[in-house]
Formats: sequence, C-alpha cells, structure tokens
Amino acid sequence: MAVVQWIINNVLTQAAILISLIAMLGLMLQGKKPGAVIGGTLKTLLGFEVLSAGSSIIQQSLAYFAVIFQHGFNTKGIVPSIEAINGQAMNKLGLGNDIALTLLGIFIVNIIIARFTKWKYVFLTGQALLWMATMTVIGGHFAGLKGFPLILMGSIVGGIFAIAMPALAQPIVRKITGNDAIALGHFCTIGYLVEAGVAWLVRDRKVDQHVANIKERKDSWEHVNLPKSMSFLQDNSLSIMVVMIPLYIITAAFAGPYWSIKAAGGAAGSVNYIIYAFLQAIEFTVGVYVMLSGVRLMLGEIVPAFRGIAMKIVPNSIPALDCPVLFPYSPNAVIIGFITTTIGTVIGMFLSPLAGLAVILPGMTTNFFAGGTAGIFGNAVGGKRGAIIGGIAHGLFITLLPALLVGALSSVGFVNATATDVDTIVAALLYLWVLAPAFHAVG
Amino acid sequence: MAKIPKVFFICGNGLGSSLACQMEADDVFQAAGIEVNSGHDSISAAPSLDADVIVSASNFESQFANTQIDPKTKIVYLDNIVDKNEIKEKVVPIIKEIAES
Repeated sequence: MAVVQWIINNVLTQAAILISLIAMLGLMLQGKKPGAVIGGTLKTLLGFEVLSAGSSIIQQSLAYFAVIFQHGFNTKGIVPSIEAINGQAMNKLGLGNDIALTLLGIFIVNIIIARFTKWKYVFLTGQALLWMATMTVIGGHFAGLKGFPLILMGSIVGGIFAIAMPALAQPIVRKITGNDAIALGHFCTIGYLVEAGVAWLVRDRKVDQHVANIKERKDSWEHVNLPKSMSFLQDNSLSIMVVMIPLYIITAAFAGPYWSIKAAGGAAGSVNYIIYAFLQAIEFTVGVYVMLSGVRLMLGEIVPAFRGIAMKIVPNSIPALDCPVLFPYSPNAVIIGFITTTIGTVIGMFLSPLAGLAVILPGMTTNFFAGGTAGIFGNAVGGKRGAIIGGIAHGLFITLLPALLVGALSSVGFVNATATDVDTIVAALLYLWVLAPAFHAVG
Repeated sequence: MAKIPKVFFICGNGLGSSLACQMEADDVFQAAGIEVNSGHDSISAAPSLDADVIVSASNFESQFANTQIDPKTKIVYLDNIVDKNEIKEKVVPIIKEIAES
C-alpha cells in the first residue's frame, strides 16, 4: 500500500506527469511505434512545463499592470485572458490535475454522446477543450466540490457543451461552407449566435430572402474591397502588441513615475518608467506566446490520438474544428467582425463601471478570433448592416459576461484576470448560479 | 536515399486550424504512401521554420507577402484547409517532387 500511496502522492498529483500519461495512453491505443510513444509523451511533458513558464511571465506583467491601472485611474482594470486564468488555476491553485483529468473526461463524454445520439460532432479544438476543462473545474472548486465528483461534473458539463455548441452553430456553418463536412468547435459560440440574432433582426429585408450559401448573398461584405493593410491582424502576437503597448504606456503616464516605479518593485532599476511600461507590454505578449507554444506541444499529441479513437467509435462523425477554418470562406467579414467587436468592447469598457461592474479591458486575442468568426455569422445572416450592428452587440456581450465572473474569481484567489471565451464563462456561471446553490440546498 | 520533406502547417495562433489541416494532410500522405516530417506553428514563427513546404489558408496570402520566407520554401494556400481532395491536388505533387529531388 505504501508504494501505491507514494505513487499517488508523488506522480499522479503532478499535473505535468498526469497529462503526459494521458498522451501516452492515446498514443499506445493508436498502436504507434515505441519511439513515437516515448517522443510524444516527452513532448507533452515539455509542453506542460513551457505552458507553466509562460503563465508566470503573464502573471508578472499583469501584476505590474494592475498596480499602475489602480493608481492611474483609481479603479480596477481587468485584462481578460483565458490563458492567464488557466495558468493561475494550474499553478497557484493546484488544480492542474483536476483540469487534466477533466480534459480527458470531456473527450470521453463527447464520444459517448456522439456514439449514441444523432449529434455526431467530435470536438477537435484542443485548446478550447482545455479552457472548458479549466472553467468547469474552477466552477466546481467554487461550489465546494473536490476530487472525483468535481472531475465527473466537469466532464459531463463540458461534454454536453462540446456537442451542443457545434450543433447550435451548424445551420449557419452549413450556409458558410455549403455542406455538413465540418462543424465549428470553438467555445465562443453563444457570442456568435448573439451576433447572428442581432444581425437577423436588423437585416435589409428587401434582398436575400432565401440564401442557402453565403456566396449567393447580394448584401455582403465580400463584395467590398477592404484595404489589404488590415491583414496583419491575423498574426496573433502582432495584434496583441498593437493594443497592449499603448494601453500600458498610457496607463503608466497616468499613474506617474512614483507608482510606476513602485509597481515594478525595484525591477525597473534606472530605466525610464514609460520605457519600462513599454517593455512590460512586450513581456505580456511574450507570456502569451510562450504559453501558446506550450499548449501546442502539449496538445499536438493528444488531439490526433483522440481523433483516431473517436473516428473508430463514432461512424459518420463530423469533426468540430477551430474557428479560423471558416476564415477563407469569408475573409472580409472577419476583418469587419474584428473591428466592430473591438468597438463594442471599448464601449463596454466605459459602460461596465456605470453598471457597478469592474472595468474589463479589450482582450485582443478574443476580439480577433471570436470577433472575426462572429463577423462571418453576422454577415451570413444579416449582410453589411447586420455585421456592423451585430458586431458591436457581440463586443458588448463578450465584455458583460467576463465582468459577471470577476467577483467569483477573485473570491477563490485569482489576481486581476477574468476569462474570455463566452461558452466557458456560461459553464462557470451555471456552476455559480445553479449548481452551487443546488448543492448547498441538498448538502 | 530519397529525402523526407519537412512540411509545416501555419495559422494565426498555430493551435487549432493548422493542427486540423495537418491531421487531414497526414492521412492523405499516409494513404499515398509518402513519408513526411510534419508540424504546425503560428505565422509569427514561419520565417524561422526552415521548412521545405509551408501550407496555409488562402486568407494568409497577403500576410506571407510581408514575411521573409526562405525562397527555397514552397508555400501552398488552401481555400478549404480540411478538404482532403484539395490537399491531394495542391500539396501532394509538390511533396513528391521534393522527395525525389
């Protein structure tokens, strides 16, 4: 027994080792050669540690930013970043194991539902599943769950989302791609439906009565020539920097040298405080870049393994894939979606304190990927006007939801961060508003 | 000894859609009996990859125009990055050519 106890204490509680074992299992089930199994397992281990390193870089930068924002504007400003939330949950709160096992559990629940119901969606966007596992574990942690019940609940909630979101989006995805070969697997789908709903209400009712495919639309952004210079925003690191640099510099200017130097905690040395803020903005981007490299290494082995297994178990499965798969179908709508969502998030930033909520700063990664995809939905359903008004509504919506989470997250120990992807937030709110009160009533 | 081509799949973040494209392409290569070294990454990393072939989505074409990619690297753009037929048509011939060189 002592040996088993030692293994449980020293091996299975190490999230990095646990996730590597999950990858190893997947590689073995696929019948890979021993060399490929060892290589893939080690890569997953490396990926997890790189992810942790990236997350501590993000946290240092955000901790500095929190102080200068507080003193610059006398209010709390929160940078929404699912990456930061995931890093803090894994490293600071010690939930890494639960997240790794919930990720595996969501895979399993997804396959079971796809196998036995008419919804044949297999969710293949690894990082989105990781964010969903993170948020359901945080929600369960907040509701006071521990161990197996926490993981089981998270797997069921996450697994249902992994089927329901592609299913809800499919009628519009079919219009975009022209068939049912692929589905959309991205946990910002509720936001896309919000945009599509608003776009549909404000659409031009004189044209495009029955459009089966977006190519047939007369009223569409795809017939407009947009400047090519906007395309650099597709590079995630660049789009973060062009927003974070001015944000940090302006905030440091408002905070003044005294608080800026204090926030740096002696790390700035003799560097001018504005230059230091500039470097910290780059540092934030470095953290995101490193963290995403870790996620890439970590999931590069697990996702293909899951796909191989799912395809064997679920005949006629439809792969639910990451949102940029849709971008080539409607590239102009992506740019319009990004711009309008950003406008919406900026308006939301000013409105949220008026509603008694925290100031949520625009999160650029989400604005581009979720905003761009939402733009495709808005344009597909409501044409030019639909995409613009729907996009601003989408921006407001993805600012409001993270704001609702702030209180709950800070009560369980998160520093100056809130989540982004709205479906994962809805899952967490489900825990806070529905499941936690229910547990308390029963237990 | 034929050369094993190094193929990289590129998207904005190097996480989701590039991996989806890589998985489909790996299936195509396997069915055709071609051996490749494949990987996926973000567009920021593209100049440093030293790949024989880069595969990306057509909406990245203007972005690659501003990026310094090694001239010996062949870049292929796909309209539907998970369409096996398109991969067969556009990518496979280039891979075969490199493998035989």
